[in-house]
Amino acid sequence: MKLLTKTTVYFLIVLVPVLAIGGFYLFNQFSREINYRSDKELISVEIQWIQYLGSEAVNGAVFVLKTPDLSIFPTDATVTPYPALTNTYGYISKERIIYRQLSQVVAIGDNSYQLTIRQSQEQKAALVADVTRIMLFVFIGLFAATLIFNWAISKRLWKPFKRSLTKIRSAELQKMEAIHFEETNIREFNELNASLNYMTGKIYKDYMNMKEFTENAAHEMQTPVAVVQSKLELLLQDSNLKDEQVQSILQSTDALRRLSKLNEGLLLLAKIENHQYETTEALSLTVIVKKYLHLFEDFIKEKMLVIETNYEQDFLVKLHPRLADSLISNLLGNAIKYNFTGGKVTINIFKKGFQVSNTSPLPAIPPGRLFQRLSGSKEFHDNSNGLGLAIVKKIIETHHLQIHYKWQNGMHTFEVTEGLRG
Amino acid sequence: MKILIIEDEKGLQESIVKYLQHQGFICEVADDFIKGKEKVSQFLYDCIVVDIGLPNGNGLDIIKELKYMESKAGIIVISAKNALEDKLNGLDLGADDYLAKPFYLSELTARINAIIRRRNFSGSKVITFNEIQLAAEAQRVTVNDKSVDLTDKEYQLLEYFVANQRRLLTKAAIAEHIWGDEYLHVSNFDFIYSQIKNLRKKLMDAGSGDYIKTVYRAGYRFTDN
Repeated sequence: MKLLTKTTVYFLIVLVPVLAIGGFYLFNQFSREINYRSDKELISVEIQWIQYLGSEAVNGAVFVLKTPDLSIFPTDATVTPYPALTNTYGYISKERIIYRQLSQVVAIGDNSYQLTIRQSQEQKAALVADVTRIMLFVFIGLFAATLIFNWAISKRLWKPFKRSLTKIRSAELQKMEAIHFEETNIREFNELNASLNYMTGKIYKDYMNMKEFTENAAHEMQTPVAVVQSKLELLLQDSNLKDEQVQSILQSTDALRRLSKLNEGLLLLAKIENHQYETTEALSLTVIVKKYLHLFEDFIKEKMLVIETNYEQDFLVKLHPRLADSLISNLLGNAIKYNFTGGKVTINIFKKGFQVSNTSPLPAIPPGRLFQRLSGSKEFHDNSNGLGLAIVKKIIETHHLQIHYKWQNGMHTFEVTEGLRG
Repeated sequence: MKILIIEDEKGLQESIVKYLQHQGFICEVADDFIKGKEKVSQFLYDCIVVDIGLPNGNGLDIIKELKYMESKAGIIVISAKNALEDKLNGLDLGADDYLAKPFYLSELTARINAIIRRRNFSGSKVITFNEIQLAAEAQRVTVNDKSVDLTDKEYQLLEYFVANQRRLLTKAAIAEHIWGDEYLHVSNFDFIYSQIKNLRKKLMDAGSGDYIKTVYRAGYRFTDN
């Protein structure tokens, strides 16, 4: 529920009883005023009647008078000192009518008379209708005014809030520093924005600390690795070593090498994430593919792979040369590495992207594992650090590109295309 | 040939010294910035291996100092940061080469050899190993003055072997030297076998001794005994 709807509902919930009580009070006030006037009239009428009857009673007459509004008849009841004024109802052709009635037992001459005078108070019924109508008008008027008012000003009023919201939505960890929630002339929003500023500042600082720590840790790790590797290399030169010992040293060197490469890969990932490889220059993918086909020449020959290239049109892409190298060397490298002897690699480059397909003894890669870090194929015991595709994916993500993988007729295909900007 | 190694990590420093001494270099060491700067300004070296991250200072400043002195020494920067920036900075300041940690000692030796040869303007630029001669600039090889036609990679391989003669060279180290470390994930190291086989055949066909020895399951050794 929108905040505006909610406040309106609350407003109505409060307004209805307030208006009802107000209407009731108003009616009561008017009703009392009407009664007061009726009573005065009734009493003066009674006095006139008593005076008139008193003068006539000297002649010893006995009166009986009955009209709808006045009745006088003799009674045995005791004389009441004051007239009783009450509200009663009567019916005129089945319509209920409110009356104000005065009744008193008075002594006139030697007789006691029951005197009853009543006066129609039809205006009271009209009053109820009037008050209700007025209250209804007030209610509708207020309600409409509230709606229009809220609608008209809420857009303006909530503008700073909406602005902050947009900023929060588009916030990126790496660019947190640039986000600033400015002052408004509303205290609540200022408090919110000040808290948001504090929060983004803190997040950014923590993130930078963490990033710095990761980078430092990764760098510091290379030095001890270098020490161990150099020691192993020296150890290997000892001519008294048995074959078994040599093998142990070689395996240790390999493992160490992998550790160091893994470290490098993670660092590269972190750097891509941190946008440390920004560029505005577009480069030709065809040139890079050709470069790597040349660099991989020995491996291609060794595996007797058939390379099929189709450079339909050059794919120009804004990529840092280092990342373009990484992208192509990983995709092309995989196509060669996970191939069988005498297999095939097809490269298609077109205006909006490129495709690398290869034959492979491996089954299709399950989608969930495709771009995951360190989930590389264990079937091939190799020098892979398991980060290749994760790096590819990261490059794709940070450069408005898209990547699709498909497996068809034993061919694994990776297709990189221009993605939507934004 | 005199080499100065400015490296604060004792273990690595010792390994480098030991390996280089074995290859016939005279080595001196400095383990921080101040000592490094002192030695650089007091003595002449053929090549200086300098770490960027040093106690009390930055290795790049030593390069600046060397360039200010118009030193003729070759400079190799080694750094734990395999960062493009460090590499470019080092090379911009006038370093001859850059090596990221961890590196193979055999690789460092090959690079030192290459730099010294390049910088050795007056002396001979020919490397000799018994009857084999390598003319580094032209990348031409002769055996008993008879020219041998080698591919680029075979030539690089031979130069690397000669620089690291008598040492056991693993397939991984050889592959990384010739193909670079970025491409290693593409294949296992079996492909280097054919390259080495070709080189050996060409050299022996030209009349050289059989110097490339296969060390079972480990790698190769280039040696004349």
